[in-house]
Amino acid sequence: MTKPKPEIKIVDVATGEVIVRDANAEEISQMELDAANAAAAKTKAEAREAQRQAILDRLGLTEEEAKLLLG
Amino acid sequence: MATTTNYGWTTPDDTSLVKDGASAIRTLGTSIDTTTKNLNPQTTTGAIAYRSSTSNVNTSLAIGTAGQVLTVNSGATAPEWATPTTGGMTLISTTTLSGASVSLTSIPGTYNNLQIVVRLWLPATTNTSLRLRLNSDSAANRHIVNYAYGTLDFSYDATSIPLTGNARNSSSSTIVIANIYDYKNTTTPKIGDLLAVNTETTANFTLNREHFAYSQTGAITSLDLFSLSGNMTSGDVLLYGVK
Repeated sequence: MTKPKPEIKIVDVATGEVIVRDANAEEISQMELDAANAAAAKTKAEAREAQRQAILDRLGLTEEEAKLLLG
Repeated sequence: MATTTNYGWTTPDDTSLVKDGASAIRTLGTSIDTTTKNLNPQTTTGAIAYRSSTSNVNTSLAIGTAGQVLTVNSGATAPEWATPTTGGMTLISTTTLSGASVSLTSIPGTYNNLQIVVRLWLPATTNTSLRLRLNSDSAANRHIVNYAYGTLDFSYDATSIPLTGNARNSSSSTIVIANIYDYKNTTTPKIGDLLAVNTETTANFTLNREHFAYSQTGAITSLDLFSLSGNMTSGDVLLYGVK
């Protein structure tokens, strides 16, 4: 069974005209790219957080102590 | 023949004969009548007169409609009645969120700012966020969002702006209020800010305060709202123009 294509709704706010259509190949590619970018950003943020935690562990500081120190 | 100082009405000379008096009075009366009518051309209640380009001939301006104020026309040549420009917000559109993306297009450039209100956005896929893209511009590194205030040494690094945190696909509590300032100017990047709350992937909530920017100088004429992944099950987006 073919997976349905994502739908795009376009509203002309000047006229009120509404067009609902299937996403084209370019838009689907953009959606996939957006998701990939978001996943990459999340991975990067998680890596940064892991790095931060590693530094805290190495210094023997808790999260609260680090906040006190930097605050 | 003698004439009056201001309007040049003809009057009898000192040497005129008495027998010509009736004619002279009639001539003077006619002149006064004509001038008076030229100065007071109004024929309807509430009309006012203003000076035309011809000396001593006024133009009648009919009364305006309720609430109108007297102003000067665009050519700065005459007064006219006009509906005063009022502040406040105008609801431009209300749209149900559905499918993979909703685009609001042909946004009129007649306001100072735009305000976007999103209510109860619910994604079909769990653990995803609601995004905003200006002018359908998906080119790399033209959008940026930040969650902290103060000087920020930044580079544009995104293709869209997150309006919410990651949300679950049930029991929406989402409310987003985002502003885009001076959206119609064509000389500067665009800036905005927002407040948002949504139900997290757990039972907790995310409360966001963000500011964002878009690097391009063109006027904002369209807005895309979409879930980062999957469809949108429900919700509404209200677009306001703010003066």
